[in-house]
Amino acid sequence: MILNIYTIIMLFIAIVSLSLGGFLLSLTLKAIITFNTFVPLESKTKYEQKGYLIFLLGCVVIFIRMLAWPWFYFMLQSFVPEVPGAMCIFGVTRIMPSTVTFLQIIKPVSFFFMGGWIFCYYVDKAHPTSPLTRKILLFLLPICTLLFIDSGTDIYYILFMKPLVSVSCCATFFDVPLRPSAMIPQAIFGKNFDTALFFLYYFINIVLVIFLFLTLSNKWKSLLHLSDKILLYIQSGIGLINIPVVVLSFMEVIAPKLMQLPFHHCLYCFIGNGIVPDAPLMLGLFIIGTFSIGWIGILRYICKNSAAKQVTDIFVKRVNSLSVFCLLTSLIMVTIHLVLT
Amino acid sequence: MTKKFWIGLVIFFIIATLGVFYQKHVKYPHCDYDGSPVPPIYEVEIILKDGAIKRFCSIYCAVQWFKNNKHNVDHVIVTDEIRGNKIDSYMAYFVESELITNETNDNCIHVFQQRESAQIHMDKFNGRVVDDPFELDE
Repeated sequence: MILNIYTIIMLFIAIVSLSLGGFLLSLTLKAIITFNTFVPLESKTKYEQKGYLIFLLGCVVIFIRMLAWPWFYFMLQSFVPEVPGAMCIFGVTRIMPSTVTFLQIIKPVSFFFMGGWIFCYYVDKAHPTSPLTRKILLFLLPICTLLFIDSGTDIYYILFMKPLVSVSCCATFFDVPLRPSAMIPQAIFGKNFDTALFFLYYFINIVLVIFLFLTLSNKWKSLLHLSDKILLYIQSGIGLINIPVVVLSFMEVIAPKLMQLPFHHCLYCFIGNGIVPDAPLMLGLFIIGTFSIGWIGILRYICKNSAAKQVTDIFVKRVNSLSVFCLLTSLIMVTIHLVLT
Repeated sequence: MTKKFWIGLVIFFIIATLGVFYQKHVKYPHCDYDGSPVPPIYEVEIILKDGAIKRFCSIYCAVQWFKNNKHNVDHVIVTDEIRGNKIDSYMAYFVESELITNETNDNCIHVFQQRESAQIHMDKFNGRVVDDPFELDE
């Protein structure tokens, strides 16, 4: 175990979210079992207070867990000097590799669903009759499960992580000629894939931003003659294709150019080594922008056939604006760096 | 589009520009021979006997400075072109090839930490291994 301020905070976050999460799960289960749409007037205050406690607790735990994702990378970065051979976070991920890989998958998944829950909660809160309460309580159950798995694995990783284990540097994985990040686009675009990949990055991002932008305005939306559902499917489809395109473009073209290390393709060095100080912002904005499209989907799914259609539409527009803003900003930041560097 | 949206965009525009400024002028020093910004991948550091450090943008600049100030030099640190690792010059492999690293001074000497990387570069850019240009007299 490596003990520093980052691990202490991470452990604290994990223990707090585990204990509060346990309490939240028991309260949620009780609330679902005893849920009644028509509550007698005399017990209404008690009922409201209980509901308020559950949602307040839910918001606190979810907010803490969402913060744990970026903090996890701060913690891994702090381990770099403790691990012989490690030049960046990649070296640290070579110790207990399956656990770290699992954590790197579960954290964005938790972040995504927890973000979706927060938006649904705010829709429900904004409506005077709270028509989504039961659905939101049910949605809390898988979120609590994710929370337990995520926190538990965090504790396991921190406690059993062994320092002073020699590892290999990122160059042995990311800079070899047969690296997957080069082989995949090479199989599609041929030997000089970097130009095609670079254009594809801009093309898909611009198309996605235009689509998201069009759905913000009723005037443009009516010109497209597409229903909200179809538009959402198109946006989600483009958003999903955009994920591998962005990851591969960053690894193969953008990160080496921005780091001024033309032969180095490591994203961990890009975000963690401070060579490009705003690199985490660029990738963070892209992640929020992409997740926002999914959050619109969650909002539409949870709030369908409910009395909160008007409020949902307002929130969908807000999340849509957030998505446009984040994706556009990420694209602009990358462009500024490419032009000025 | 709301006012907040545009203000946000402007803020991130400024952040990105500051990021580039930091990268170019604060994080990376200027060459002590020709004054140009030092790209991290080609950085050469000459450590003097009094502990002072001189930074150069290419092997060419460092060699020019080194020739005239050899007696003050303690050791020389060069950068591996592949990973960006800083290594002592006597441990590095120097390769002269057709690939130019600096258009201003036509530097075509490349530095590698591993023999394998040097060999790959030589095969690709028609290069040959050269002696350490920073060899100090005993």
